[in-house]
Amino acid sequence: MHITWSTFFIQLAAFLILFLLLKRYAFGPLLGIMEQRKELIQGQLDNAENSRNQAAQHLEEQKQALQQARKEAYDIIEQAKATSSKQADDIIVTAKTEASRLKDDAVKDIESEKNKAIAALRGEVGGMSVKIASKIIEKQIDEKSQEQLVNQYLKEVGSK
Amino acid sequence: MDHIFPVVHKWGIEFDLAAIFMIIVTSIIVLVLALVSVRGMSVDKPTKMQNFLEWVIEFVINIIGTTMDFKKGKPYLILGLSLIMYIFVGNMLGLPFGIATEVHHGATIFGMELDLGGESEAHVAWWKSPTADVAVTAALTVIVILLTHIEGMRRNTKHYFKHYFEPYVPFLPLNLIKEVSKPLSLALRLYGNIFAGEVMIGVIVSGLGWVGIIPLVVWQGFSVFVGAIQAFVFVMLTMVYMSQSIVHEEKH
Repeated sequence: MHITWSTFFIQLAAFLILFLLLKRYAFGPLLGIMEQRKELIQGQLDNAENSRNQAAQHLEEQKQALQQARKEAYDIIEQAKATSSKQADDIIVTAKTEASRLKDDAVKDIESEKNKAIAALRGEVGGMSVKIASKIIEKQIDEKSQEQLVNQYLKEVGSK
Repeated sequence: MDHIFPVVHKWGIEFDLAAIFMIIVTSIIVLVLALVSVRGMSVDKPTKMQNFLEWVIEFVINIIGTTMDFKKGKPYLILGLSLIMYIFVGNMLGLPFGIATEVHHGATIFGMELDLGGESEAHVAWWKSPTADVAVTAALTVIVILLTHIEGMRRNTKHYFKHYFEPYVPFLPLNLIKEVSKPLSLALRLYGNIFAGEVMIGVIVSGLGWVGIIPLVVWQGFSVFVGAIQAFVFVMLTMVYMSQSIVHEEKH
């Protein structure tokens, strides 16, 4: 085996020059680019993570809002139900009051009508009984007593 | 006739022109590949070539990650990338074809006389894998091993000097042998694999002629595999040695 020393040293120098040139013009910049890409991807991953968290947060908020809306709707319905049943009760109460009032009025009317009728009837009965009595009397009493009677009536009428 | 490499002498130093040429070619290919890949690079819309280079980076990151904590190994990422691309491209270059010229005694190149090793006529091979030259792999290894020692001393000082005497002081020679064997095995493994692959290609081509096309294709396919594996192994071992040197294992 024969070593050509000139080749040895030339190779030494050539490789060092090659190394420096590659480092300066090729690998240095390329490694920088790769580093930048790494950072870019890292940044994008972080971004994605943030977006995901935000989305989850928004979803949670939406859920809460929905829950809130449901609760409000339920409350409103409950309130409406309560109002309506109260109104119904009121109406019924009013109706009852009205009905009883009407009934009372009717009873009063009936009473007064009855009283009137009784009064009228009494007058009628009085007149009729007078007539009947006068008819009966007319037949039984003679002219003398009749005259006496007429006079008595006339007297009564005149004193009045 | 065997192929020889175009060797010239200048200022009393021996130069292997083919090796130098291939070192330059490989460096330029790696550099152009990398520069084309990062041209028009962007964070969110990577081009195909950018994706390819990023895949290579991920690959080396994984290699580092299997040997040590990546935070500690990050400074060696670009070293590993340069190594794996250079060695892989180098390993591949010798496979598809060869360029050989027939020269006679007294031929010159760039005004310098070719050393034909005393022969009057020879085939000179101009194209080969740079990693099929032991000087090249040795240079890469020296860079790596020196760096592991320097980083060990710098980042793990106490443990670095202590580990030569572990578990007991008499183990110092064994530990020294271990330190020497690391670069040797690293350099020779790569060199041996690639050189053997090229020798085998040469044998098939010159020995079998046209009949050798099928075994040649098979062997070249295998060599692609070997070349990729060797590039991977070289970087893997680099990172293993580095982690051994800088990471202080806590004893429980």
